[in-house]
Amino acid sequence: MKNKFFKIFALFVLASVILSACGGGIAATQAPAEKVKVVIFVGMGTGTDPDQVDAQNALAEKYNSTHDNIEIEFLIVPHEEYATRYLAMLSGGNAPQLVGPNGVSTVAEFFDTWEDITPYIEADKLDLSDFYGPAVELNQYPDKNTGLPLGLYPSYIYYNKDLFDAAGLDYPTHDFEDKSWNIEKLREVAMQLTLDSNGRNATEPDFDPENIVQYGYDDSWDTLRGTLANWGAENVGRPTTSDYKTAVANSPEWIQGLRWLSDGIWEDHFIGSGEVQAGRDSAGVDPFGPGTTGMFYSHTWFLAEGLHDLSFSADIAPFPYNPKGVRIARIDADNFTIPKDAKNKQEAWEVMKWLTSPEIIVDVCRIYGCIPARKSVEAKFLEQLKADYPGIDYDVIFKSIDYLDKPNNEEWIPEWGKIEDALNNGLSLVYSGEEKDATKVLTDANAEVQQILDEYWAANP
Amino acid sequence: MQSSIKPPRFSLARRESLWAYAFIAPWTIGFVIFTLGPMLASLFFSFTEYDIVSPPKWIGLTNYINLVHDQLFWHSLGITFKYAVIALPLGLVVSYMIAVLLNQKIRGINIWRTVYFLPSVIAGVAVALLWARIFDPKFGILNPFLAQFGIKGPGWLSDPQWAVPALVIMSLWSVGGNIIIYLAGLQGVPTDLYDAAKVDGATAWQRFRHVTLPMTTPVIFYNLILGLIGTFQYFTEVYVLTNGSGNPARSTLFYNLYLYQNAFKYFHMGYASTMAWVLFIIVLGFTLLIFRSSDAWVYYEGQLRGR
Repeated sequence: MKNKFFKIFALFVLASVILSACGGGIAATQAPAEKVKVVIFVGMGTGTDPDQVDAQNALAEKYNSTHDNIEIEFLIVPHEEYATRYLAMLSGGNAPQLVGPNGVSTVAEFFDTWEDITPYIEADKLDLSDFYGPAVELNQYPDKNTGLPLGLYPSYIYYNKDLFDAAGLDYPTHDFEDKSWNIEKLREVAMQLTLDSNGRNATEPDFDPENIVQYGYDDSWDTLRGTLANWGAENVGRPTTSDYKTAVANSPEWIQGLRWLSDGIWEDHFIGSGEVQAGRDSAGVDPFGPGTTGMFYSHTWFLAEGLHDLSFSADIAPFPYNPKGVRIARIDADNFTIPKDAKNKQEAWEVMKWLTSPEIIVDVCRIYGCIPARKSVEAKFLEQLKADYPGIDYDVIFKSIDYLDKPNNEEWIPEWGKIEDALNNGLSLVYSGEEKDATKVLTDANAEVQQILDEYWAANP
Repeated sequence: MQSSIKPPRFSLARRESLWAYAFIAPWTIGFVIFTLGPMLASLFFSFTEYDIVSPPKWIGLTNYINLVHDQLFWHSLGITFKYAVIALPLGLVVSYMIAVLLNQKIRGINIWRTVYFLPSVIAGVAVALLWARIFDPKFGILNPFLAQFGIKGPGWLSDPQWAVPALVIMSLWSVGGNIIIYLAGLQGVPTDLYDAAKVDGATAWQRFRHVTLPMTTPVIFYNLILGLIGTFQYFTEVYVLTNGSGNPARSTLFYNLYLYQNAFKYFHMGYASTMAWVLFIIVLGFTLLIFRSSDAWVYYEGQLRGR
C-alpha cells in the first residue's frame, strides 16, 4: 500500500513538474496582455563598454515603458565571443530578433544569415529620403537590403596640436579643396614629428631609428583593405572585380600604398612597427592617447573611445589626397539586422524602425559614437557633439562623408573571412618586417585570394 | 503462517549491479549527451558541407581530400609539431627537476610547493594577458632583464621568428600540475631502495639515475601522454594573444586555431570537423606509439621482465 502510494505520489510530482515547465509557454501564448520580446544581440562591434551597457538598458526602459505590445532586451555579448555565441544561438533555433550595431564587416561576415528587409520597407512604404544616400547604399546588396542605416563613421586624421607646436609645424589644413595636403606632404610632416630619444627628428641624418620615442603617423587599427582603400584603385576597397571572380589585390595602386606603408615603417621610420603596436596592445592603450603619435588616422567611433581626458590639445583634419589627386576617406557604417531564422520578425522590424527614427537616432548614436544616418537630425547631433567634444572642427566629420570609399573596404565578398585573413597576413608581414617588399606581399596575397575564389566558384557555380 | 516479508525481486549480485549502474548513470548520461553525441555528430559533419545556417550536404571524402591539398593545414600542423617538439620535453624535464627539488626535506618546503603550483591554477586567458605584458619589448620585464647581460631582447610576440619560442617559455608557467603528479610519484619510491643503494656505495647521481628515475617512469609516462594531448590541443593562449589571427605572419597559426577559424570564422563546420578527426587520429597514433614504447622504458613495481 505504502509502495503504491509512493508511486502515485512520484507520478503526480513528475507530472506537475512537466506541466508547470510547459505551463509558462502555454500561458505566454494565450495571455493577451503578454508583450512580444525582441532580443537585441550586442557585441558584433561597439556597445559592450560598461557605460554603453547602462545607456542601452536605459534605452530599453524608455522603449518598454512606452510600448504595450513589444518588450526589448539588449543581450550583451563579449566582443571576442560574438561569432561563437551568435552561431550557437542560430544553430540552437534561438536566433535573436535583432543584431547590432553591425559594421559593414560583420554584415559581410554573416551575410547569408540576414533577412532581406525590402518587403518590410515596401509594406510600410517607408520613406528613406531622410537617410544619407551613401548610408542607404552601404546596406543595399544585389539580392538584399540588410537593414536601415543607423550611423556612419567617416574617417579623418586626429592630430596632436601640442606635438605640431613643439615641432614648429603648421597644423594640417582643414580645407577640403587644398590639394597641397596630399599623401607625400603627410609623409614629410610625419617624419618631422617623429623623434628619437635624443630629440632628433626622422629627417635628420643622425636620427636613431632604434630609439624612437614619438611617431608621426599611425593607421594600425585597420585591415589591409582599409589601409589601401584610399589609394584610388579601380575597385577601391574591394580585392576582387565586381563579379567577385578575379582577384585584384595586387593592383598598382594597392602596391603603391603598401610600399608607402612599408617605407614609412622601415625606411622613413615615421610609422610604428608591429612591435610598437604589440607594446601598446599589451599596455591597453590606443595609438593616440599617450600623446606620442602626431597623427592618427581613424574614424568617428574613436571620438567616444579615445578623445576623453587627453593630456594635450587635439583636433581633426581631412585625410590627404592620394597620388592620383583624388581624396578617398574610407568609411565605416552601422545598422541593425534581422536574422532570417528569428521569430517575431515583424516586431523586430518595428524596433529597428524605432531605433533609427528621427526621434531616437541621436540618442542611439550617442551611445555608439556614430554620426546619425539621418540628415534631419544633423543640427541636433551637432549640438551634442559640441557639448561632448568641444574644440574640434565638426565640419571635417560631416564633409568627410562625401569622400567615402565605394566599393567599401569592408563590404561582402565570397569567403569574406578567409580572404580577409589572407590579406591581413600580408599586412602582418609588412608590419613585422618579415617581408618588406610590397609587390611580393601583394602578389602572393593575390594568388591566395584567387585560389580561394576559384574554390568558391567551383563549389558554387 | 505465511511470512509477510517478500523475498527480494533480484539477487544480491543483480541488485549491486543495478546500484552500480545507478551511480555511474549521471556520468554515463553526461558522456553520451555531451561527448559521445557531439563526437559522432562531428564524424558525420566531417563528410558534409555544413555552414551552420543551412542543412549539412553529404560530400563524401571531399573534405579529407581537400585537407591534404590545403597548405595552411600543413602549415598549422607544422607549427603545432614545432611547438610540441620543444614545449613537451622541456615541460616534462623542467617540471621533473623542480619536483625533485621540492621533494627534498628542507624548511618551508610546503610554501615552495604552493608557490610552484599556484601559477597552474590561473586561467589560460589571464596567463596570456600577463605574459603579453612580460614579453612587451618596451614596458615588459623580460627584455630589460636581458639587457642587463648585454642581450637585446627580440620583439617576442611581434617577431615571427620568436613568437613560438615565446609561447614555449610561457608554457613553463603552467608546469605546476605536472610537478604535483611527479611529487606524488617521487614520494612513492620506497626508501629501502635508496638505503640499499647507499649501502652498495651508490653516489647521489647513481641513486637518481638507477632508483628515482626508473621508479617514477609510470608518472613520467602519464605526464607525457597528457602533455602530448595538451600540446596538440593548444589554443586558448594563442587565441587571446593574437586575437584569433595566428599572426604575426601566421607564425602562431596552431592547428586548433586554424580549426577554430574554419568553424567559426569561415563557417566551414564540416571541414573543421574533418580537421578535428584528423587531429584525433594523429594524437591517437602518437599515444599508441608511446604506449607501445612504454614496455621498453616504463617500470612498474612488481612487474616481471624478460619472462
